[in-house]
Amino acid sequence: MEYIFHLAILFSLFAIFAIALDLVAGYTGLISVCHAAFYGIGAYTTALLVQSVGLNFFFALLIGMLLTGIVALILGLVFSKFKGDYYVLGTLGFTYIAYTVFINWQSVTNGPLGVPGIPRPEIFGLSFSNSWSFLILSAIFVGVVYALARFVVSSSFGRVLRAIREDEEAIAIFGYRTSAFKLLIFIISAMSAALGGGLLASYLTYIDPGTFGITESIFVLSIVILGGLGSLRGPVVGALILVLLPEALRFVGFSPDIAAQMRVLIYGLLLVIMMRYRPQGLLGEYKL
Amino acid sequence: MTYALQTKNLSKVFGGVHAVDHLSISIPKGKITGIIGPNGSGKTTLTNVLTGFHSIDSGALVVGGEKEYERIHSYDVRNLGMTRTFQNVRVFEQMSVLDNILVVLTERGLFASLFDSHTTFHKNTAQEVLTRVGLWEKRNENAVNLSYGQRKLLEIARALAVNADVVFFDEPYAGLFPEMVKLVSGIMQELRETGKTVVLIEHDMALIRELCDHVIVLEAGKLLAEGKPEEVLADSKVIEAYLGA
Amino acid sequence: MDILPQIILNSLIAGSLYALAAMSFNLIYGVSRSFNLAHGVFATVAAYAVLFLAFHTAIPLPLTITLGILMAVLLGYLLERSIFRPLRLRKASNLVLLIASLGASIVVEALIAIFFSSQFQTLSSLLPPFGTLHILGGTLTDLQAFIIICSVVVLGVFWLVLSYTRFGKAVRAVSDDEEVAKIVGINTNAIIGIVFMIGAGVMGLAGILAGFDTGLEPHMGFILLLGAAIAAVVGGVGNVYGAFLGAFILGFAENFGVFFVSGEWKYAIAFGVLILFLLFRPQGILGKK
Repeated sequence: MEYIFHLAILFSLFAIFAIALDLVAGYTGLISVCHAAFYGIGAYTTALLVQSVGLNFFFALLIGMLLTGIVALILGLVFSKFKGDYYVLGTLGFTYIAYTVFINWQSVTNGPLGVPGIPRPEIFGLSFSNSWSFLILSAIFVGVVYALARFVVSSSFGRVLRAIREDEEAIAIFGYRTSAFKLLIFIISAMSAALGGGLLASYLTYIDPGTFGITESIFVLSIVILGGLGSLRGPVVGALILVLLPEALRFVGFSPDIAAQMRVLIYGLLLVIMMRYRPQGLLGEYKL
Repeated sequence: MTYALQTKNLSKVFGGVHAVDHLSISIPKGKITGIIGPNGSGKTTLTNVLTGFHSIDSGALVVGGEKEYERIHSYDVRNLGMTRTFQNVRVFEQMSVLDNILVVLTERGLFASLFDSHTTFHKNTAQEVLTRVGLWEKRNENAVNLSYGQRKLLEIARALAVNADVVFFDEPYAGLFPEMVKLVSGIMQELRETGKTVVLIEHDMALIRELCDHVIVLEAGKLLAEGKPEEVLADSKVIEAYLGA
Repeated sequence: MDILPQIILNSLIAGSLYALAAMSFNLIYGVSRSFNLAHGVFATVAAYAVLFLAFHTAIPLPLTITLGILMAVLLGYLLERSIFRPLRLRKASNLVLLIASLGASIVVEALIAIFFSSQFQTLSSLLPPFGTLHILGGTLTDLQAFIIICSVVVLGVFWLVLSYTRFGKAVRAVSDDEEVAKIVGINTNAIIGIVFMIGAGVMGLAGILAGFDTGLEPHMGFILLLGAAIAAVVGGVGNVYGAFLGAFILGFAENFGVFFVSGEWKYAIAFGVLILFLLFRPQGILGKK
């Protein structure tokens, strides 16, 4: 039972990350592989504020989101000139820069040793320390993120994003400052990812830089590509499949190390197979 | 005669070659002006410069006889009262026909668009322009599923939707069936009747003769001739430019 | 400042490895017009092949090295035929190719980690202890000097082949404009396939050299690839000579940079350079606008 809660919580967290990435990759056509850095910033900020300063989890989460939003603003401005493959390369670069900061800024992040002992959320005397209550909390957050994403993509703003994805120059001459649109969605996406990151930190009660590297970014990208770019159900379905699949592997009897590598192998294979045979993913609206 | 647009000594250089060479032309308001010239004469480059796709290297654009602009960003184009269609059709492929129109009717501010609930006005405008080009029944189809001709019509509907004062049609007739040709010509004439300015870039001389009030001929980025269609098309310089090209 | 010569030498060594990676990367980019993020696996596979063959068979070292490079070439052929060519033929966008190459990279790396474990391993026991050379006040091992020489030799070979052979001219034609090359009668698919294999081979060489110099782990190729990509952007994408230049600029930037900040910030510096160039001169130093 505990195990099922655990899976459900992981699924919720990755659903949040995937929806956040889809806003940028699927709806706006900006393939970013730096989202792991955003949940890293969210995770570290929340974790440190709660654990060292004793700030309430929900406030810490909010501050984590704001901080990530600011980083995304700066990053978005820098990346706004990059097109296509160069954009991917730029975000790849940032992932490594963020990772380097996590691992080397030892005075703040404690470097490779990570941040242990992160407490579970608490509010008004309610503590979310057991799996059941944490699951409820994450479910609520998934609902919030999903609703927010739905609001954004069904609005006229969302329509402009899709037009930007299809042909940025063409929509620009109709009077739309495309760089501003791209920047805003990038910030919204980053802040959502940070939300997930804070939750993740609190759930695992321990984080280290390894959790937020390029592999994680690619994992979330695989989820979105499998589930389907440009739809909201796609990331959710993708998260479901890709969280459950590795667990199925455990039962096949691989050793933990090998299982971990098999998990990575599957993501990579999925990316190749999807690109080759079904670029729009299972439920997607956008064919790369 | 008032001019909707004028260029003053406009130049655009690519790799040392003047695609547009110190060009000064005037587009009369409320008329259909054709821009013709052999391949490479600068017609599409000119259009691209005037609609913000390439930067102006020197010279300026004058809008409405008043304001001069030495720099035009893509997003300024609509504010300057211009819109256009593209020679290589650029519709929003993986969006529905209806969305292709609604998207250009959206509020242009970031936050305004977030809270913009497409009002009846927008929906009516979309229905109007789509019906005009005969695509209303296909409004929920993704643009990628339309035929080539239908996509061209969609682009035209999109341009009509923004109700711009000056509409550039860049080779709108290529690949269209005869009924569609008539439809497009009809649209241009209607625009003229409502006081809009039409700029038509075309190769088909019969259509130029039929539709245009005024014709401008470019060659190698420079003005070669201009005037009424019959005059220009009989001009020996023009004939030579086309034959020699 | 007597540490300067050493930093210069370190820069040259780093630059040489990057140069091999970057030249091969750019060669492939030139003809295929897409970033092959799987390029790193050629290095990894070659190095691990040598590891396997040298420690588990009695095959003499020079032959294992050759076989290692051949394995990289074979992998290049397989990847090109099964993934990149079909995508290219159906006119898939660059993003699709990029993501597919990323996926392929992950798959190969995971396979290597499964069969060889993620532990750091070395090849240095296969060679007699390296002698050290003292040049201009710094030291480097003979292997490192060999690496530097290799990079220059490969540059020279590329230059000769590209400039003076029919094959090289065909490659340049395809790099300039694939459509026109086809019209002129060049079998562009075959050329691209061969270039892929050559690029893979050179990258394999880089991997083996890196394996001898610093050791192996499953991500080593990806790291070389990142350096190659940065060098490519800095020097000029698609341009083999630009790659050579960019590689050394990167090598110098990294080594002089870590002199001022501690060693672990190496990545940050490298990617900082990348982002600066993407911002201000995306076509690179030798690239055309």
